[in-house]
Amino acid sequence: MAFVNRLRGFVVIGLLPALVLYVVFVLVPIVWSVYYGFYNWKGIGAASFTGLDNYAEALRDPIFWRALKNNLIIVAASILGQLPVALVLSLILRKSTLFHRFVRSAVFMPMVVSTVVIGMIWGYIYHPQIGILNVILQNIGLGSWIRDWLGDARINMYSVSAPVIWANIGPYLIIFISAIQNIPSEMEDAAKLDGAVRAKWLYLIVIPMIWDTIKVAIVLCISGSLKAFDLIYIMTGGGPAQSTELLATYMYNNTFEVFRYGYGSAVSSLIIVISLILVLGSQLLMRKRGV
Amino acid sequence: MMNLISPETLTGKTVRRPLPRRRKSGWLWGVDTVLLVYALATIYPLLWLFISSFKSVRDFSANPFALPSVWQFENYTRAWEIAGIGRAFANSVIVTLGSLALTLILGTLTGYILSRLNFRFKGVIMGLFVLGMLIPIHSTLVPLFIMMKNLHILDTYASLILPYAAFELPVAIFIVAAYLTSVPKELEEAAMIDGNGYWGIFCRIIMPLAVPAMATISILGFLRSWNDFAFALVFINDQSLKTLPLSLSIFSDGYGTDYSLTMAAMSIAVIPTVIVYLIFQEQIMKGMVAGAVKG
Repeated sequence: MAFVNRLRGFVVIGLLPALVLYVVFVLVPIVWSVYYGFYNWKGIGAASFTGLDNYAEALRDPIFWRALKNNLIIVAASILGQLPVALVLSLILRKSTLFHRFVRSAVFMPMVVSTVVIGMIWGYIYHPQIGILNVILQNIGLGSWIRDWLGDARINMYSVSAPVIWANIGPYLIIFISAIQNIPSEMEDAAKLDGAVRAKWLYLIVIPMIWDTIKVAIVLCISGSLKAFDLIYIMTGGGPAQSTELLATYMYNNTFEVFRYGYGSAVSSLIIVISLILVLGSQLLMRKRGV
Repeated sequence: MMNLISPETLTGKTVRRPLPRRRKSGWLWGVDTVLLVYALATIYPLLWLFISSFKSVRDFSANPFALPSVWQFENYTRAWEIAGIGRAFANSVIVTLGSLALTLILGTLTGYILSRLNFRFKGVIMGLFVLGMLIPIHSTLVPLFIMMKNLHILDTYASLILPYAAFELPVAIFIVAAYLTSVPKELEEAAMIDGNGYWGIFCRIIMPLAVPAMATISILGFLRSWNDFAFALVFINDQSLKTLPLSLSIFSDGYGTDYSLTMAAMSIAVIPTVIVYLIFQEQIMKGMVAGAVKG
């Protein structure tokens, strides 16, 4: 019995601090955001219960929908921009020569830099006066392409997508390389004997074999789009005229700029719901094609 | 030189070689060139940052691509003093070390308990930690802010250290658990026969064995807390407590037209992470991919 008690004591004392920390700072906030979403509260004074009003207001607000659309643009840019590049690179870079390792390291490098710095560097690239992108365009005779990359509401969502793609190819590259290395080499040899051309080999063998990995990558693209907050907050703050608003910047601005804590909490809850819907939806869509 | 006298040049005919893979065709050279250009294009913005950080403001505007005409090393001393980067650097160090210490101790202990011991509710607790990985952290900003306000820990180091550690815990636990699968159970049994309790086993056997896993956790935790922006933005208002990314962000809204000062400040923030990256590349790539599944 003493033995069992010792085990129990160790487990309880050992787990408690981590569990408390984790529950208080990760799980409780989620419950709270749903709860506060039912209240009208300015951060000070009394909170008044308003039922589903905050949620209904968010769903009626065109800016909310634009923010959602912008989030989806980031998802699309990630899936269509990062994954194909990472996949092609992974097919070329799976050998461990010095040169290949150098390229891998370079591609991964932006991942370790603060998004604030990345956002600011790209701010300089796009800057209307000192921006090096416009300088390059001028010098190669494409002066007519010069524009205010972050100020023009028709294109700035695409402008802000570029650094998102640029900075995040690295991890997908490494994920795909390790997945491809797990394909038995006999498969490749057999395909060669059968005379399968490279494109066919890719389509018929590699993609089906790493389909599960691709699914994971797509989920990461979706959740990554909800994390694009930092970059876009630094580059545009969601502006001009809320043209680059994301769900997270929308939540931030409503909460900490106009002090509507209840409304911000409701939007937080909706972000969780939306990300779960996107993740589950993408999994269901891809299940049919699974091999 | 041997390659010059290939069977083709001697006979004028194509001869099948025993090792065709060895030959580097023009096509492959083309691929390598494209790869090289791509790699350089990826690191160029960072190189440009470092080069620009040594320029004067006028030099920066006049020759955005050239090397500095005069290397202005005093940009760094100016940034350190005027922009308060020294203070911000110290804050980042304190916050990063604090959250790392917490993550390492709790993560290793919890990872050990959850992966090696059997008890009731083990599955439930493991499930809770997995669940947390699906949550987009930005959606917790508002409730965390309200909660910390009530707990009166806003604008303290704790307001960053505690959530950084909490959000890093799941990854830490999974890295430790995965690592410990390679450690034979007999070691613990032997230690128990030698009269060690669970704490003794943890401190004398598990901790020393788990050092490589702890190294990975430290590197990932360092990069995350050092680079975090969103939490610092919301939880810290006090000028004297601002971390590096937060201090830098002041320059981002066109307010800072002293570009060389800004560039130097940004470089000061980036240099530690680049050094860590260059030393621990492989570990970082593997660890981040393992942690990325966290989403």
